[in-house]
Amino acid sequence: MERITKIWIALLLFSLFAFILGRFEIVSRFFIFVLLFSTFLKGYFVIEHFMGLSEVTLRYRLIPTVWLSVVIISVAITYY
Amino acid sequence: MEKEKLDYPPGDFGVWIIIYIELLTFGLFFIGFAISRKNQLEIFNTSQLLLDQRFGFINTVLLISSSYFVVKAIKIIKHSQTSESFTKASSYLLGTIGFGGVFLLIKIFELASKYSDEINLSTNSFFMFYFILSIFHFMHVILGMIILYNLYINTKAGVYTKDEHSGLESGASYWHMVDLLWIVLFPLLYIIR
Repeated sequence: MERITKIWIALLLFSLFAFILGRFEIVSRFFIFVLLFSTFLKGYFVIEHFMGLSEVTLRYRLIPTVWLSVVIISVAITYY
Repeated sequence: MEKEKLDYPPGDFGVWIIIYIELLTFGLFFIGFAISRKNQLEIFNTSQLLLDQRFGFINTVLLISSSYFVVKAIKIIKHSQTSESFTKASSYLLGTIGFGGVFLLIKIFELASKYSDEINLSTNSFFMFYFILSIFHFMHVILGMIILYNLYINTKAGVYTKDEHSGLESGASYWHMVDLLWIVLFPLLYIIR
């Protein structure tokens, strides 16, 4: 199986995980942080592998990755 | 040995400027949403219950899969130059447009059902963010689909080659940005409470 297909499946599984948490109202602080971490991973996979930034120098990869980190950390801080 | 990194992102540089500006704009909205949520926790939690998470989940699957299809199309163009490969790559792009179309239909249904329940921008802060973010993202999906349609026509006509496909990569990067934004929007609007 191609690596990109494995990443696509991982993205779908992370999304299913998020849906299950929401559907069954599993909203403890621990699970919300796991959810935020999985959202970061999803975004990171899209940036690195779908956008193809894993193949370019750090400065171009850094902008969307820092953006994603700032957004997720801000949401986590306000949740806490 | 590690593969040498390219000194340039995929596609035209102009599209990356647009992508960075869009990310910044949406990022401010996301942080604004999170801060407002902290200040009006009860309103945000009760309002969120009025959203159907199934729509959010299906739309996430659609956008992630559409992004995957775009990656597949580019991979084909990068590795083969036959008429069969042009057809296959354009089919993937057509699939992407189809998924984008279904996304829009679901979103229209979702927004219309909220309006028919007399929920709108001025209902409360949660729904103000919900409508602004949804409609703003919706417009980006429409623009992305117009771009993808052009890519589809060009790919079918064999315009892109193994060595020159920056137009295809530019459009693809824009579509991945639309996907990336939704990846953050989904848990923010539908799940986190």
